[in-house]
Amino acid sequence: NSDGKKAGEEGSQQRERGKKAPTKDQKESENKEKKTNKKAKEGENKQKKDRRNSTTSASSNSSDEESLSEEELAMLMEQVEQKKKLISTMRNKPWRMVKKLSVLREAQAFVEKFEGALGKGKGKKFYAYKMMMAKKWVKFKRDFDNFKTQCIPWEMKIKEVESHFGSSVASYFIFLRWMYGMNLVLFGLIFGLVIIPEVLMGMPYGSMPRKTVPRAEQATAMDFSVLWDFEGYIKYSALFYGYYNNQRTIGWLKYRLPMAYFMVGISVFGYSLMVVIRSMARNANESTADGDDDNFIFSWKMFTSWDYLIGNPETADNKFASITTSFKESIVDEQESNKDENIHLRRFLRVLANVLIICCLCGSGYLIYFVVKRSQTFSKMQNVGWYERNEVEIVMSLLGMFCPPLFETIAALENYHPRIGLKWQLGRIFALFLGNLYTFLLALMDDVNEKLAEEDVVKNVTHWTLLGHHNSSAGNSSTATPPPLDPADVPRGPCWETTVGIEFVRLTVSDILVTYITILVGDFIRACFVRFVNYCWCWDLEAGFPSYAEFDISGNVLGLIFNQGMIWMGSFYAPGLVGINVLRLLTSMYFQCWAVMSSNVPHERVFKASKSNNFYMGLLLLILFLSLLPVAYTIMSLPPSFDCGPFSGKKRMYEVIQETIELDFPLFVAKIFSYVANPGLIIPAILLMVLAIYYLNAVAEAYQRANAELKKKMQMQREEEKNKRNNKASTNPMLQDLEDLLTPSTKSESHPKEAEDEKRESPNRTSPVGKGGKAAAPDSSPMTAGRRAAFTLPPHVFVTQPPSLGVRAPYPGQPRPRWHPPGPVPGRGRGQPHYSRAAQ
Amino acid sequence: KGENGTLSREDFQRIPELAINPLGDRIINAFFPEGEDQVNFRGFMRTLAHFRPIEDNEKSKDQNGPEPLNSRSNKLHFAFRLYDLDKDDKISRDELLQVLRMMVGVNISDEQLGSIADRTIQEADQDGDSAISFAEFVKVLEKVDVEQKMSIRFLH
Repeated sequence: NSDGKKAGEEGSQQRERGKKAPTKDQKESENKEKKTNKKAKEGENKQKKDRRNSTTSASSNSSDEESLSEEELAMLMEQVEQKKKLISTMRNKPWRMVKKLSVLREAQAFVEKFEGALGKGKGKKFYAYKMMMAKKWVKFKRDFDNFKTQCIPWEMKIKEVESHFGSSVASYFIFLRWMYGMNLVLFGLIFGLVIIPEVLMGMPYGSMPRKTVPRAEQATAMDFSVLWDFEGYIKYSALFYGYYNNQRTIGWLKYRLPMAYFMVGISVFGYSLMVVIRSMARNANESTADGDDDNFIFSWKMFTSWDYLIGNPETADNKFASITTSFKESIVDEQESNKDENIHLRRFLRVLANVLIICCLCGSGYLIYFVVKRSQTFSKMQNVGWYERNEVEIVMSLLGMFCPPLFETIAALENYHPRIGLKWQLGRIFALFLGNLYTFLLALMDDVNEKLAEEDVVKNVTHWTLLGHHNSSAGNSSTATPPPLDPADVPRGPCWETTVGIEFVRLTVSDILVTYITILVGDFIRACFVRFVNYCWCWDLEAGFPSYAEFDISGNVLGLIFNQGMIWMGSFYAPGLVGINVLRLLTSMYFQCWAVMSSNVPHERVFKASKSNNFYMGLLLLILFLSLLPVAYTIMSLPPSFDCGPFSGKKRMYEVIQETIELDFPLFVAKIFSYVANPGLIIPAILLMVLAIYYLNAVAEAYQRANAELKKKMQMQREEEKNKRNNKASTNPMLQDLEDLLTPSTKSESHPKEAEDEKRESPNRTSPVGKGGKAAAPDSSPMTAGRRAAFTLPPHVFVTQPPSLGVRAPYPGQPRPRWHPPGPVPGRGRGQPHYSRAAQ
Repeated sequence: KGENGTLSREDFQRIPELAINPLGDRIINAFFPEGEDQVNFRGFMRTLAHFRPIEDNEKSKDQNGPEPLNSRSNKLHFAFRLYDLDKDDKISRDELLQVLRMMVGVNISDEQLGSIADRTIQEADQDGDSAISFAEFVKVLEKVDVEQKMSIRFLH
């Protein structure tokens, strides 16, 4: 009714403005239609409309003034807001299409007409203009959002994969796409801020010793085999650390390259960290929104598992299969919980399996170490075959290929639930890769230390050579400036950073190759073999041994994560590495999409995708930290090479910051930084952060607990409502006897607890104690449950006393009318046992 | 397709999503009133009305009149009728078995299906009659956002 009145007022407002609304009656009737929420699909209530028409005509006789008073203004604003709200919720209204459209148009016209009029006096036009701009801005934002959604690459491809293989396989591709985006940003950073300035504004190739291929190598510098090893011309290009000049500013822009190099290196990690954590937070939000109801597992599977939006027959078959496996999984779950085996045997087997696996891990770690050492001796030799040169990478890739299945077979000893087994498997593969990576790094560190020792020697040699050259040339001619030594002839130090960069690049490239070849052979060739040779083979290849490959999600995701870890580690020493990775991810997306669609079959076991997303993000975060450590260590403690890279000549790499602060910033900034870097300030800051973390953690835990309590309360309420409705007796006779013994006060106090207990009990009560029609009071059942609670939880009794008395009030009241008590009810407490006794 | 103003069962079965749905035949049957083979527009609309989105302020309106076709209770009733074939307002174990058989085909053995059906009834049954009544069905699905999921929105 209030809506109708508003409609009337609005109609009168219209007339007050003196504007002619020729279809005013129609508009008014539509307004009323809008305001009365229609449930039936029939036409409008003609009587209502006539009644409202009369009221509006009565109120329309008010004054017709041009100027707006304050209250009218406020009312008008309110109506405009109302109309706007209506427009925004129009889609959800269950009206006919014609009606929706006409109401929409009318509301839009109204808003347009009167919004401008809301400004006062001179401000009118400006207000109208502001409103118009706001609307245009909203429209622009919406169009931009649409455009952005269209721009998301590979959306159709991923949808296709999802419909054929399910959400878990698609989640791998979504992860891949996300990584591609992150790498693209990193590449943009590095390329734009480091590589381009050096290439455009720095000294060109051949002008300096560090940028030229040494004379000795020039003969072979263009050979493909040399290039493949990233020696030769590639080594002395912008792809690697050694190319960069240590000039403080380059070009006419006075671009501080060393500073930029350092900052970009740090910001690579910073940006990655930010992006990973933001993604984790978003995932965490979504996952907590899901209900985690374990009560009706089978019923839900039964009634709600079909996806009614599937239109493709093949997808429908997949859905059948996934429903089947989902049931099988639940059956397995049930069986697992009922299993009662020999605990000791199981424990022994598990310990045995873990011991075996640790042996494998140690063995693989040692193997890698040994191989890296060997490769160092190889590099000193002359005639090295292709195998010796690439031994390290080959061994690492082979380990990555064969150890996981080995772990799986050993894990069969453990007899875990499949989901838990999968997590163990992932953890072990992770440990394998991590061990390999760190062993590789350690071996590399040995290499670096060797090179550092070598460097001192070379430094002297270079120094003396240059001196000698100057002397000789000074002797020859009397010009002031001696002809410079050809850069190719200068004896070169063993630039350890470039070596490290090269190692990482080679590892990445070989990893890429191995992955692609594995997919090609393991999936595609296998599928071709199974498909075509099946006709003339003894046993059924498709069902039996090789059959078609399944898409190994966890292996692929882990491979991706480790690849990214290597990129992070290597990008400081080889700026071009990120570019290589971007190319790799791009081609990988197309290649793997094709491979999945053409040669893989959907999983037999349904993998729950949603909860694992944060697991992979967590792994990524861990790898990020682990790959930050070596880089940070080398920046802080190793001296840079004396003749290559942007930090050459400094004692430590981070000195570039001090240099920049001293020379480029005004004096007080240096003072500020020196104060800030004072340990006396930093340690309290760290303490403060630790305290903040602890506090936030406590707050988060408190929220979680409150959440759980609220959920429990809601369930409690539902249980009580249901009990009231069903009016059934689910009491235990033994507990009823206990009831009689207890005093009334304890009963009332333990009401909230008993309801909780009751909720806990009810799933177990499959066959209620049927007591026929005259059931005991519904709250006697919470009460009987509460008996136990009263005994077991005395501390709660006092706490819950005040509110419970109030809460209890309705319940005793309600059953009373339903079945009349034999006598007057003396009081609530004492009345209850009386009822239950009567029901007995 | 016949363009004679009514729809027959064959017309519905041409829709791919219904054709491959295991419950497709039952859904189609829900459109047709008792014993008839043709449904006119009014009947079609009446069934589709179950899928209207629910308005927020409808809840505050009169509770006295007949509930609208798209209320949560009626939506759930529609779903319930898909499973309850003999219309006795209970889903018995046999009806569950039939649905299960349709959903999983021949990949699961009969006895496993039987135990699944038993387990389902055990989970959902409150009053111990070895069948799922409408109230129990509602309770099972109370966490499911039926208003959102069983709604078709136009103007999307």
